Amino acid sequence: MKPADKKAYDKDYAQAKKTGKPFFPYAIYKDTVIAGLTVIAIIVLAITIRVEVGEPVNPATTDFIPRPEWYFYFAFELLKIFANQNVLTPVIMATFMVPNILIILLVVWPFIDRGPERRIWKRPFALGLTVIVTGMLCYLTWLGANSPAGVAKGALPVSGLDEQATKGMAVYMANGCGSCHMVAGVGAPGPGPDLTNEGAKGWDNAKMIAWLKAPKAPMPSYASLPPQELEDLSTFLNGLGTKYK
Amino acid sequence: MTTKDIGPKNPVQKGTEATIDYVDERSGVKTGTRWFLFRNIPAGTSWFQTLGFTAMVVFGMQAITGIILAMYYVPDTKGGAYQSIEYITNEVTWGWLVRGMHKWGASVMIIVVFLHMARVFIWGAYKYPRELTWITGSFLLLLTMFMGLTGYLLVWDQKAYWATVVAVNIFASAPIVGPYIGDILRAGPEFGPATLSRFYSIHMLVIPGAIATFIGLHLYFIVRLGISEPPWSKRRLRIERDEEDARRAAAREKAKALPGSVNYPASWPVEAKEGAR
Ligand code: HEC
Ligand code: HEM
Repeated sequence: MKPADKKAYDKDYAQAKKTGKPFFPYAIYKDTVIAGLTVIAIIVLAITIRVEVGEPVNPATTDFIPRPEWYFYFAFELLKIFANQNVLTPVIMATFMVPNILIILLVVWPFIDRGPERRIWKRPFALGLTVIVTGMLCYLTWLGANSPAGVAKGALPVSGLDEQATKGMAVYMANGCGSCHMVAGVGAPGPGPDLTNEGAKGWDNAKMIAWLKAPKAPMPSYASLPPQELEDLSTFLNGLGTKYK
Repeated sequence: MTTKDIGPKNPVQKGTEATIDYVDERSGVKTGTRWFLFRNIPAGTSWFQTLGFTAMVVFGMQAITGIILAMYYVPDTKGGAYQSIEYITNEVTWGWLVRGMHKWGASVMIIVVFLHMARVFIWGAYKYPRELTWITGSFLLLLTMFMGLTGYLLVWDQKAYWATVVAVNIFASAPIVGPYIGDILRAGPEFGPATLSRFYSIHMLVIPGAIATFIGLHLYFIVRLGISEPPWSKRRLRIERDEEDARRAAAREKAKALPGSVNYPASWPVEAKEGAR
């Protein structure tokens, strides 16, 4: 804002204050009503929808969808969009670039939008931004809430499995890989890449086990699986799309 | 403070007044409170301007329910944490209610803070002179989100554990500083007992302390600068209307002065005024 605009604002605000009302009781009364209703709503929610205790932690299995609280769904969905599908959408976009750009924009926003205009209908850019950001957040949260809840139970639609690969598939199912990966159309479309043709990469089991033990974020490490299970799982993964289709 | 003594006073009342005067003389609380409560705010303040206060009240509620939960919670990964949550939920009198309020309160606080921010954004209330109020507020939003993140792990059930493993991995994937952040959050290279204690202390002490500090700063700015007036308050709209009228009148004068101009019918300014309303 230019110094003249600042002066005009200060003058106008002083005028508003002079013709205003005392904070107590006019503002306090409204504050108390809304805050009171909010607290009542929280108590009613706590009574009607009871909290639960989930299953105790077992670091050896993830037959659980690593799903955050609903207010982080948008971030999780963002991960799926940037799931390393090609060079233009690397995971780092979702884990680092996008969140940090948004945070910086949030913090410095008053220094970007410095015009004197405050009426929203005369600030089309700010209005558009409000609509787009709110819409995106709602949409991504909705996507997160409706993403496939269960890891597909039973078997994957893959044929030609030998004994070891069958065991490997069981390990795959038991550890919730399907909540981040898809095989032959079964499982979540992200944040991990589609593993239908994983075998085409031509990795050997040692390389695969090394990956499973120390993968790149956000995939969790599976170093705590028994060596035999890691071996079975790797055999299964390295044959996907080649031996087992 | 001048007190007119008319007749003998009740000694209790006298003593109370003397005590208040004594404290006020040294601290200024009475003068300060009076100044705080009876300072003027713009007349048209709206119901949307209650959301910040509501966020503060919900934060206070989180603090109280959180303190009660902390009386029973044990940050122990060998079953203790999980059992203490089970105990709070199933055994402690009204424990389920306290835990339920804390959990729902977290969601509600996020929503309220977001709505408050949306109100400030839509009203342009972050503009001069309130830029720093916005910056302290944006830190409050981030801290509130971090509260949700760190609190989720404490339940130590499967869902919470794996979601947090993934979240910490995300922090750890940042370039250069990522691995260090990951180690700091996990209290080492692996998820374990130290991780839980660390999240516990971050959730119980570090972030609440930071939030309280930033709320203090936020409020200081708000009280010092005054709450903004709605950009479409009655007073503002009247001023805008008068400005518009003046502009039209000037334009009309100018048009008249030009040779060969149209003579507007006498009703023209009234209609224009109606249209502007
Ligand atoms: C939290 C979600 C998540 C879970 C659970 C998960 N992954 Fe991943 N996985 C990922 C992501 C994200 C990547 C991509 C990482 C990268 O390349 O930066 C990935 C990559 C991979 C890759 C390499 C794929 C390629 O072609 O580059 C394999 C193989 C893999 N995961 C197997 C597994 C297996 C097996 C499991 C279960 C034991 C599993 N994942 C569980 C998220 C997950
Ligand atoms: C824990 C979270 C927060 C609390 C407790 C809080 C509290 C408050 C309170 C009590 C007010 C007084 C007016 C009102 O109630 O609307 C206020 C105003 C304000 N808040 Fe917040 N706030 C929080 C988060 C935020 C966030 C996330 C932002 C924006 C990034 C923000 C920016 C502002 C601004 C700019 C004002 C001045 C508005 C005006 O004068 O009209 N606050 N806040």
